[in-house]
Amino acid sequence: MAKPIAERRQGVGFITPLLVLMLAAFNLPILYMLTLGFWSKEGGFTFEHYAQLLDTPIYLRVLANTMRVSLVATLVNVAIGYPLAYWMRGLSPRAQFIAVSLVIVPFWISILVRTYAWIVVLGNNGMVNRLLLWSGMVDTPVSFLYNELGVMIGMANVLLPFLVLPLFAAMLRIDDRLMQAAASMGAPNHTIFLKVFLPLTLPALAAGTLLVFILCLGFYVTPAILGGGKVTMISNLLDILINQIPRWEQASAVSTLLLIVTLAIFAGYRALDRKVGT
Amino acid sequence: MNGQPTWGTRLVAALGIGALAFLVLPLLIVVPMSFSSARSLAFPPPGFSLRWYETFFGDPSWMEALWNSLTIASISSVCATTLGGLAAYGLRRGTFRGRDVAESNFMAPLIVPTIIAAVAMYLAFAGVNLLGTFLGLVIAHTVLSVPLVIMVLGVAVRSFDVRIEQVGWSLGGSWFYTARTVLLPNIAPSVFAAWIFAFIGSFDEVIVTSFIGGTYETIPKKMFNELILQVNPTITAIATLLMLFTVVTLALTAWMLQRAGRLRSTLL
Repeated sequence: MAKPIAERRQGVGFITPLLVLMLAAFNLPILYMLTLGFWSKEGGFTFEHYAQLLDTPIYLRVLANTMRVSLVATLVNVAIGYPLAYWMRGLSPRAQFIAVSLVIVPFWISILVRTYAWIVVLGNNGMVNRLLLWSGMVDTPVSFLYNELGVMIGMANVLLPFLVLPLFAAMLRIDDRLMQAAASMGAPNHTIFLKVFLPLTLPALAAGTLLVFILCLGFYVTPAILGGGKVTMISNLLDILINQIPRWEQASAVSTLLLIVTLAIFAGYRALDRKVGT
Repeated sequence: MNGQPTWGTRLVAALGIGALAFLVLPLLIVVPMSFSSARSLAFPPPGFSLRWYETFFGDPSWMEALWNSLTIASISSVCATTLGGLAAYGLRRGTFRGRDVAESNFMAPLIVPTIIAAVAMYLAFAGVNLLGTFLGLVIAHTVLSVPLVIMVLGVAVRSFDVRIEQVGWSLGGSWFYTARTVLLPNIAPSVFAAWIFAFIGSFDEVIVTSFIGGTYETIPKKMFNELILQVNPTITAIATLLMLFTVVTLALTAWMLQRAGRLRSTLL
């Protein structure tokens, strides 16, 4: 059924100012970047910038680095985040409020501050190394910083709220009576968890995992600071290609690939998230 | 699941508390370290001093960065709240075609990795001489803040009954008059929350700012540049101030939303 013309346009005026700004300052720049990656120096269409990416071993190494760090940081996130969300679900409303606040407040604190906190805590004279030395577990300070370990710890920490908050919300929606029914039929606690609770949380867990992984792939600040220039991820490579040795076409090609991967994973996330919502 | 605490529930509690500690403890350690008298980040701090706060407030380059951060955040958050608020209203109340596409487009800065937005804006702004300008930073920060504003105000507009607005119109009030006297007073806490979120988002933005800022310094950009070069205890004092600022504004926002009964719907 065709709507009357007036109805098809009603309300457009409200979004027009923002739409103009977004098109000019967001959509067009991204479109320009996409075309630049296919633009040859003599003018005209070319695949040479993409071919160069494949021919240069350093790009593949950066890609492997990014994948490895992102995978580990995401898995650490799940290993820490799932028990946290599960524990929060069982708390009293008051304790739940405090726990949720403790997850949300760091979420809003500057990523620089949260990354810097790890320099303070994990440095050679920091609290963790002091405790390790004092307890006699190690003889010399452990190098947590300026290597992949530090980057993974920092990323897992910064991204934890992105996993925990939606997962916790999904867990709250699970009806307690399902577990009670299983218990009334004599199922032991671990069976109830594995056969009833866990399967119900899997879509939300998968969605949260994908979201965290996407964020890991494009992470810039934490690898730059905690990696000490030794852990190069895609985003740090982009910094080099734009700000240090200007190669705009290659930067565009790398960004385009990252954008495609991100959007593909995001499509998967959306499909899962819709499943969680119903 | 209930009754006596078992080993299972104790383990879960230990893991949960451990995870919260992992999240919060490093931030809490920064606070006492910012009052350290030492140049190094040795734990525990050997003595109390305010020297790193004095360094921060006494350094003209940090003060200039602070001024830049405050002005950019103020202007871009007002722009984002105004434009985003109007758009959220149009998306919820309008019946035009393509609302879903428009909304996805407005939410895109949240999904597209910020580093890609930074590269794209750098390349595009280079072409129109916006690199290293105040205007360029304000535009970029406004765009990045839009998704949060749309989320918060979209919920607020949806939960406000359109029939109340209709009464205003039927009594002869213009759209602007009705919006100002009926809609805005009712969704004011959400508008405030959206503005605060946009302000914090802009004030803390570092990636796009580092790319397109040129010689224009903001607090996060300067912090980032110093941290890449060396550890500087002044950062510890700034980090403490930033945390204090975030916690206070969030508490204020939560309190206002709580009073309006909108805390839950806005946060989760």
